[in-house]
Amino acid sequence: MVIIGSGAGGAPMALELGRAGFKVVLLEKGAWYKQEDFVHDEILNSRRNFFMPLPWDEPHLWRAGADKPYSRTNEAWTANCVGGGTVHMSGYFYRLKPVDFRLKSELGAVPGANLADWPITYAELAPYYDKAEEELGVSGNATPHPFLEPRTKNYPVPPLASHPVAEEIEKACKQLGWHAVRTARAILSTSYRGRSPCVYCTLCGSYGCEHGAKSSTAASLIPAALATGKVELRPRSMAKEIAVDAKGNAKSVVYVDQDGVEQEQPAKVVVVSATAVESARLLLNSKSSRFPNGLANDNALVGKNLVFSSFGQSKATFSVAKRGKELPWLTATAPFVDRGMQDFYLMPDDKFGFRKGGTLGFMWAHPNPIFAAVGIAKKGERGIFGKALKDKLREYRDSRILEFEIYGEFLSNPDTYVGVDPNVKDKYGLPVAAITIKRHPLDFKMTQFLVERGEEVLSLLKPDKVDRVGTAGETTILQGGTCRFGNDPATSVLDKDCRAHAVKNLYVVDGSFMPTSGGVPITLTIAANSFRVADRLVQRLKKGA
Amino acid sequence: MTRDDPATAPTESSSPDEDELSRRVFVHRMAFVGGGVVLLGSACKDEKPKTPPAPPPPQALASSHKTFTNDEWATLSAAVDRVLPKDEDPGALEAGVPEYIDRMLQTPQMEQMRKNFVPGVAALERRAQKMFKTSFWKATAAQQDELLTIFKNSPENTGEARWYEMLVVLTLEGFLGDPSYGGNQGEVGWKLVGFTLVGRNVKGDPKAPYDGSKRLEELRCGGKRGC
Repeated sequence: MVIIGSGAGGAPMALELGRAGFKVVLLEKGAWYKQEDFVHDEILNSRRNFFMPLPWDEPHLWRAGADKPYSRTNEAWTANCVGGGTVHMSGYFYRLKPVDFRLKSELGAVPGANLADWPITYAELAPYYDKAEEELGVSGNATPHPFLEPRTKNYPVPPLASHPVAEEIEKACKQLGWHAVRTARAILSTSYRGRSPCVYCTLCGSYGCEHGAKSSTAASLIPAALATGKVELRPRSMAKEIAVDAKGNAKSVVYVDQDGVEQEQPAKVVVVSATAVESARLLLNSKSSRFPNGLANDNALVGKNLVFSSFGQSKATFSVAKRGKELPWLTATAPFVDRGMQDFYLMPDDKFGFRKGGTLGFMWAHPNPIFAAVGIAKKGERGIFGKALKDKLREYRDSRILEFEIYGEFLSNPDTYVGVDPNVKDKYGLPVAAITIKRHPLDFKMTQFLVERGEEVLSLLKPDKVDRVGTAGETTILQGGTCRFGNDPATSVLDKDCRAHAVKNLYVVDGSFMPTSGGVPITLTIAANSFRVADRLVQRLKKGA
Repeated sequence: MTRDDPATAPTESSSPDEDELSRRVFVHRMAFVGGGVVLLGSACKDEKPKTPPAPPPPQALASSHKTFTNDEWATLSAAVDRVLPKDEDPGALEAGVPEYIDRMLQTPQMEQMRKNFVPGVAALERRAQKMFKTSFWKATAAQQDELLTIFKNSPENTGEARWYEMLVVLTLEGFLGDPSYGGNQGEVGWKLVGFTLVGRNVKGDPKAPYDGSKRLEELRCGGKRGC
């Protein structure tokens, strides 16, 4: 078995196949960082190629509509390292809700969108949500609320300590007739399976955890997979192509090893999990006489129906000097707010112009100082420098910023997709992923509505000001859709077991399988689905099919 | 993490402009929380930006810099001093921002950035000569601000606007980054913004001797260059 990618999708497969006694080679294009490699250095972590490749080495192409020119970007990359995006994630581990599995049935036809129901139900995935939460280590406390998805057990690890503002948010939501609910986190609050708990260092999202308390696959599933003795991890190994035999079955993975030497690893089964963008690119770059348009791409659907997560955000600023006495919680230093609101996940009717919404997550602004200062300095006509910039930086020093972000439905549509550009190659000489994005207008209507509701909550906390960051964004680290799963080979790339309709020994287990984006961060769902797929694959292999 | 206005995703300008620098330089958002902006470089590695002839270097300003000529060093120092001037708190020069930029642009990862940024310093000087009949570093603070504002307010995707953006981002990196990169000396930048999360003697602190650029190279590449 060869697995390509060691993040939320690849690692569960490696673990389960290893446990079942199958020999696995796990190819990871990035480096294998150890806990001691994670240091609190913003430049190293966030501003160079520690996690993300540089755009002159390995660009993505990006254009806002097919009539626009492409520009080079590092957008839509996720961390290139063992553990993938789970290493630097914030780890907001929400489950999808039953409606996410049958959105087309629920909403009917939405003009301009390409909705599809999933070929599985929430109930079929639920046991694997339990399993993923246990294997990775998720902290939380599932208390009943009107929007809680069905679950049979509580989280395996108790919740993290919350900042006292969480209570203020709960009160404000209650006053508005809404519900602030605790956000489960892939961060350990207590020791768990030999791993250390969080020390609340505050430099969390965008950093790897030096304590191993963040439940990245590198800290949880990968060590367990390696401990089976059946899994061999090959870091800094970039898959170039999946080769096929005369019958069109996958026979090997061609990759560039850590010394820059091309290798070919034979495989009985190939599992792809390189992110929705990069997995589509790998399939499209794997051309053969059987698959002249790319592997498993008979119906030209590989790369289509790309979805991200709809993003919106506002920030509330509180002056500590002016308000510290009146608002005693303002000076508390606990990093995590961990409250979310899902009252607008699914609207009962069309009154506000949309039905499917998403989640609002509340948090303190990220403490990275360069990140903050670049945002303050801005550019163009709104840009400031000199004394004006220093005054604003001092104002930032004397304030605290509470914010929310939206994880909203992103409607798939015919104008949002990823292909490859044969004319632009990366440092390996491979055609790069070329992304075309055109947002469905309902996404913006929905995001604006959610942002306005979030601002109502923030306003009740009596901040000095509330600034809207935007209502028309997308979170590109959350990506899916490019190899839809479904029962009909004419309208999907994968079957319900995430096996390619056209290639019987090829599986894709990152977010690519998801026909709809869901209204939460999807990392937990990717891991849960991968455990589900692994179960099916192991059963199939044991039957010898 | 996000883009709040996909319609303004940076594109490559096609209108020729005498004073345009490297037109493919742009600044883009990093794709995850806390990442903010990463500076991106040219679309094609072989692009050779036009380097104008350097005016004679001012004598008194020699330093151990490697990326910039003495003249460019003087221009750069004056520019970062206007971005973050000293007032009741230290500014860019006290923090060592020019040293940071000089060292950072020597690292292999930033080679493309160096090719894009350095000619812009000369372009700023050229424009100062044209407008004020004197070197940028000799011009008055008001004149320097006037010229930087012209660059700042230039239409998006022009060389001037992009160079201004690079200048500000590199200045803020040097002011607020880990002191081991050569800037933020005495942690004056962190003090200005109240950042206290490094240096608490916690496990994640960079431990001396620490060199972020070197460490990045080692970790990413196992010591191999050009990986």
